[in-house]
Amino acid sequence: MSSSRSRDESLDLSIADQLDDEIASLRAQVESLKKELKIQTSTLMVSEPTRKLLQDRSKKRTVNSLDSGPVAELLKKSDEQVAHQQQCLYRSCASITALKIRDPDPNAVDGGNVLGLRFEVMSKARFLRPYYVMLNRPYPNSRHLRVHRHTVPPCVPLAGLAARHLPAPKPKGGGANVDDDDDEPHQEQDLPRFARALRRELVRYQNRIGIVGDLHKAVEMKNSQASEVLDDDTIVIQNISPADAEAKQISVEWSDGKAGRLIIDDDGKIVKMAVQGGQGQDRGAARDLIGGYMHIEELMGRLEGT
Amino acid sequence: MARLSVPTTARLPSSLPVETSNSAVVKLLNRLSRPSLLSMVLDWLDPTNQSLCPPLLQGRDDDDDDFYPPAGSLDELREIYSDMQQRKGSKREVVDRIVEGDWRNGVTLYQLAMADIQYLYDHPGSLKWTAYKIQRLKTPSSEDGAEGPQKLDKECLAIPRFHPSTFVQNLQAEVLPDVKAHYNLDRPEGMPLWLLRIFILDSPYNTGLAVSNRIGERAATSFDASRTVYIAFPDASPHVYLSNSQSTGATTTGESKSLRALIVDGIPKAMSRPRERYALRPAHLSTRNLAELLHVKGAGRTNAAGGGWSIYASENQRTDSPLNPVLPTPPLSDEDATEDLVGGARKKRALSTKTTHDKYQQEAKRARLVAQARFGDSAKADDGKGIERVDILVEDTFAAVTGERQGGGNAEDVGEDDDNSSQQRKRTKGGRSGVDLAFERGQDGDEDDGGDARDWKPKVRLTFHGSHVFAGIRQLVEAGIVDGERMPGWMTGEEGVTIGAVRHGRIRGHKGSGL
Repeated sequence: MSSSRSRDESLDLSIADQLDDEIASLRAQVESLKKELKIQTSTLMVSEPTRKLLQDRSKKRTVNSLDSGPVAELLKKSDEQVAHQQQCLYRSCASITALKIRDPDPNAVDGGNVLGLRFEVMSKARFLRPYYVMLNRPYPNSRHLRVHRHTVPPCVPLAGLAARHLPAPKPKGGGANVDDDDDEPHQEQDLPRFARALRRELVRYQNRIGIVGDLHKAVEMKNSQASEVLDDDTIVIQNISPADAEAKQISVEWSDGKAGRLIIDDDGKIVKMAVQGGQGQDRGAARDLIGGYMHIEELMGRLEGT
Repeated sequence: MARLSVPTTARLPSSLPVETSNSAVVKLLNRLSRPSLLSMVLDWLDPTNQSLCPPLLQGRDDDDDDFYPPAGSLDELREIYSDMQQRKGSKREVVDRIVEGDWRNGVTLYQLAMADIQYLYDHPGSLKWTAYKIQRLKTPSSEDGAEGPQKLDKECLAIPRFHPSTFVQNLQAEVLPDVKAHYNLDRPEGMPLWLLRIFILDSPYNTGLAVSNRIGERAATSFDASRTVYIAFPDASPHVYLSNSQSTGATTTGESKSLRALIVDGIPKAMSRPRERYALRPAHLSTRNLAELLHVKGAGRTNAAGGGWSIYASENQRTDSPLNPVLPTPPLSDEDATEDLVGGARKKRALSTKTTHDKYQQEAKRARLVAQARFGDSAKADDGKGIERVDILVEDTFAAVTGERQGGGNAEDVGEDDDNSSQQRKRTKGGRSGVDLAFERGQDGDEDDGGDARDWKPKVRLTFHGSHVFAGIRQLVEAGIVDGERMPGWMTGEEGVTIGAVRHGRIRGHKGSGL
């Protein structure tokens, strides 16, 4: 009796579980269908025939009556979609785009007008989340810009670039900007150059991070493959990881305890390599690893090839 | 112990034993809870740690009537402590066993450092951290330039980098010879930073004499006057967090302040290299919460995008790729859409008889939207990034403030609003002087735009106090008590400062972007 009841309970439980699973899968299906619907709608909305149809209809309607209703709404949505499509096109082609932002602070300078710069950075054939730099005009009686907010990581020298290309205007009658140097020749602000320089830094930073990540992965993969084949006393590279914020210094570890430091420049060119073994510096290991290579990307081929 | 103690400039070695009769040792151990104490002891008993924390093992000339007979081997000892971990008992039992049994000959400085750091991990809010920004100084072009005041190199593109062992070596060179320090570097779990513990003793010796209880008549040892300071180096960020110093004995506030000044002075020198000088600049941010510090002065994108700007920095937006053809919905409308679907039927019914209740609901929803717009994803009560105290000095002329806000709430009103809330606004009298000083320091480096002397400038000082100040303000906005649209920007915490003076409704001197 009791055993049958427990079986019933377990049966009930399993049914409940099954139902839960089914509900979850149905929900997921609904989500994916909704997503697909959105994509299809967006495609339909911008297609030329649809727009023509809508425009004709709305013209007829405005002739007939003042109230245009759903057609105008659809047309508005279609216009928005077209604008968005165009924005996407610019963004994917130009990699630096400007946008207008309103500062929510009621006391913001210049009536809360903010110029936003959007930097698209690609990595591994994907667009990453863009970096933003927001500029405003805090200086009285001057159109000079200043960086207001930004989402640039601290290892990209935004402050230095801003000081070079977007210097503050000369203070009138002393007073303001005491800490500025007076003996320096005053420069004009150059927003395009600032944007170009910053984008260059961002892309270089992202590329360095990317290549070090790739090296790390390649080493890991090779070690997992090789662990069955090779015996323990072969010396292999165990780990490659970035050693500093800018990913300009890369630490390399060998399985026999040797540790190396590889220094690359902004563009990924190999500058220096030093390896410290048990008995002082091990020049041989460094030569074996980077012998003849100029660029960090060439290292990738060696790690994957052999 | 070395037979001879000669004054040196070397650091204190980690393996230096401190007598367990020292009250500071027992105090340090007693602060820990039983589980963390036991796990720490098991760490000490690890074979790799034997040079730094050797326990007393059985020798030949042992008394038989010992209360804690020394164990025969490490494994045996490890078993004893594992057993203690299994069963329940008091903390006292463990501390007694350590102090009077297995480490009766002395606990090394390394062990003390471990105990102290363990306490910090167990009580993450026990220290107050102050953030400093590391900035490059200009290399003087001539001999005369080297004498003059230091100038910041604003156009420098290099990012200062931190190498732990080199840094400790250089810092030791900065320490005065009549002071000895012990350094312990640790990497806390789950936080991208290096933690450096500096333990400072007033002694010229780096041998047992420095920590000994008996130096002639001076019964009060230098150990009682020891001080501990933590420095945190976040990964990939040109900032340093410095903790307030703790002392075991009775020290005056002036003394601990001078120690802090010494270290603030020493850090940039230890980071600098020939032709590459750095200086520390206070970031006007101090809190007990390391997670918040990492958020505002860390490695990510969120440093200069606080408050409502955080939507540009948040990582969880999927719709941001330019290859996504779907029209992006503004951050709020996603939830609204579902809400409308659910509430649609109800709305239709209530359409004819619009009650005050509906009106209230609409207002509440609007307040929520405004709060979302002003705070973005930040300042949520459960995000674990709470700042416990914010000091603001309002320097606006009275007329200007009311004019700008269309005669509405002035600064005092804002303060009173906060009084009514769960956040308590306290006027602590003891800490006042320090705050005053910081305000004055903030003003020194600032421009004074020579406002009219006739304007009435009441001195309004606001202190927000609570477990998570900005989450509290956000809740007030959501509840409709603070008008979210007219609220000044510094109330959202987007400037990333905990102390500041407000002029023209904005935090003075601080540009928000940290440039």
